Amino acid sequence: MLKVDNVTLRFGGLVANSEVCMEVPDGKIVGLIGPNGAGKTTFFNIISGVYTPNEGKINFEGQEIQGKRPHQINELGIARTYQVINLFRKMTVVENVVVGMHTQLEQGFFSSLFKTKKEREEETKAFEKALELLEFVGLRHRAYETAGSLSYGEQRLLEICRGLASQPKLILLDEPAAGMNATEKVELDHLLQKILKKNIGILIIEHDMKLMMGVADYLYVLNYGKLLAEGVPSEIQKNPDVIAAYLGGE
Amino acid sequence: MKELTQKLKSKSIVENLGLLAVMAVLPIIFNASGFSYGITILVFICIYIVAVSGLDILFGYSGQISMGHAAFYAIGAYGSAMLSRYLNVPVILSMMIASIIAALVGALLAYPASKLVFHFLSLATIAFGEIVYQLVLQSPNGITGNAVGFPTKSISIFGFQFSSNFNVYFICMIFLLLFLIAKGNLVNSRVGRAFIAIRENSHAAEGMGINVRKYKIIAFATSAYFVAFAGGMYAHTVGYISPDTFTNKQSVMFVTMLLFGGTASKWGPVMGVVAVLILNELLRSMENMQMLVYGALLLVVILALPGGIFGVVKDLVNKISKKGAM
Repeated sequence: MLKVDNVTLRFGGLVANSEVCMEVPDGKIVGLIGPNGAGKTTFFNIISGVYTPNEGKINFEGQEIQGKRPHQINELGIARTYQVINLFRKMTVVENVVVGMHTQLEQGFFSSLFKTKKEREEETKAFEKALELLEFVGLRHRAYETAGSLSYGEQRLLEICRGLASQPKLILLDEPAAGMNATEKVELDHLLQKILKKNIGILIIEHDMKLMMGVADYLYVLNYGKLLAEGVPSEIQKNPDVIAAYLGGE
Repeated sequence: MKELTQKLKSKSIVENLGLLAVMAVLPIIFNASGFSYGITILVFICIYIVAVSGLDILFGYSGQISMGHAAFYAIGAYGSAMLSRYLNVPVILSMMIASIIAALVGALLAYPASKLVFHFLSLATIAFGEIVYQLVLQSPNGITGNAVGFPTKSISIFGFQFSSNFNVYFICMIFLLLFLIAKGNLVNSRVGRAFIAIRENSHAAEGMGINVRKYKIIAFATSAYFVAFAGGMYAHTVGYISPDTFTNKQSVMFVTMLLFGGTASKWGPVMGVVAVLILNELLRSMENMQMLVYGALLLVVILALPGGIFGVVKDLVNKISKKGAM
């Protein structure tokens, strides 16, 4: 579904990502790990259009997407969450999700201004759909509170929910378990499986190795912006390069 | 969910009817008590609420500051006055055309300005306000009447002249209700949510598929339309316009009213306008102190009441209703 080919990004003299290749097949959870500062989030920013790579190609469903704007990439079917929580804090939980549906909705300026019948119908449907999605991630009971009032773990869930609202084919999750307690992590694990069942591919950055080893079908390891290793989790766990990168050493 | 939207809808209808009732009763009281100047103040309240609601769409909802909105007010006022006098366009139509022109100018300004953030944007809009002011003051061939000013026609529909105080107030009240309804519709829609999302977090908004630049431009143009229409209302009710209404002071006045009343709401602009205009009347005898008082007011609001008057009222209502529930 997503194929990244030799992507390089430089900030002046600093090479943030160098010749990274990777692939996310349909219906799989692919993990991206690496020490802090390895360029994982930068890599997400490249895929989601925040940065344009200096070299290389990104192919999504047969279309080259490098250089497109973030909103265009969202429209093509790649949603994302953020490492630092980026919710619309003063909006309610359900409104956050409806904003996530932006590209799925059609009503424009004038139909909104005059509240046409079509517009009202679409709005009602959108909010119903948003509530269903909140049910799906387990936040239905908080729907009408402001997003800023949720607990940290709930905010993470809301980020995922908002991402799912655009009906993506692929969702990029940037450290979804950060700040979650043990119970929430188990719930997140279940949620990821449920997302897969909807036939949405997942590319995930996560530091929690236990979670990662359990959920990921395939792992890529980044270090100093370069791909250090790739393989199924059991291989990665034993890879001496990876152990060295994480623990230091020769 | 249906219940909730239904509830919101009926609440907004009740609010509008309430506003209509108050606005219909006030002039009768003023008339009966012989305080006919009160009606003139009401007309100005209508005009300013339309303008400040327009600024609210830009600043309150989409989070972009403008310190040059007097420019759009001027485009609306002079545009409509000139269209009706030179080209004989019927007055209400001329107000709409002038407002469309203002919206286009706003979009044109927003195109480069959408890349600017807060303080740079306020500088750019101050400059824009100054440019329009100078153009009005020193127009080519004196088509705006320059410093002398420009006489305007009164509003008329099919030959019926809205020239008496009462008539003018009536038509301004209708305009006000239409604009308030339009604003309410817009902010509670896909477009309005995009504005708020941009204000709250423009990176995340872009990540959610919102074309941030496009929506910033839409917000600017819509805001310009509102303010320009208010400018048209002003021009055709006072009968005579001159450049000193459209100085930087006017832009500051709009912002003061908005901040004082409270941003991103329907009632914030209403309360802000009413409060500031009443204060304005009270300070009429010491005109040179006005700016000082506004400055002090603005400082108090920004430091002590970030939600404005409406924010305070809302908190009070919430507290009382909570106590009632207990």
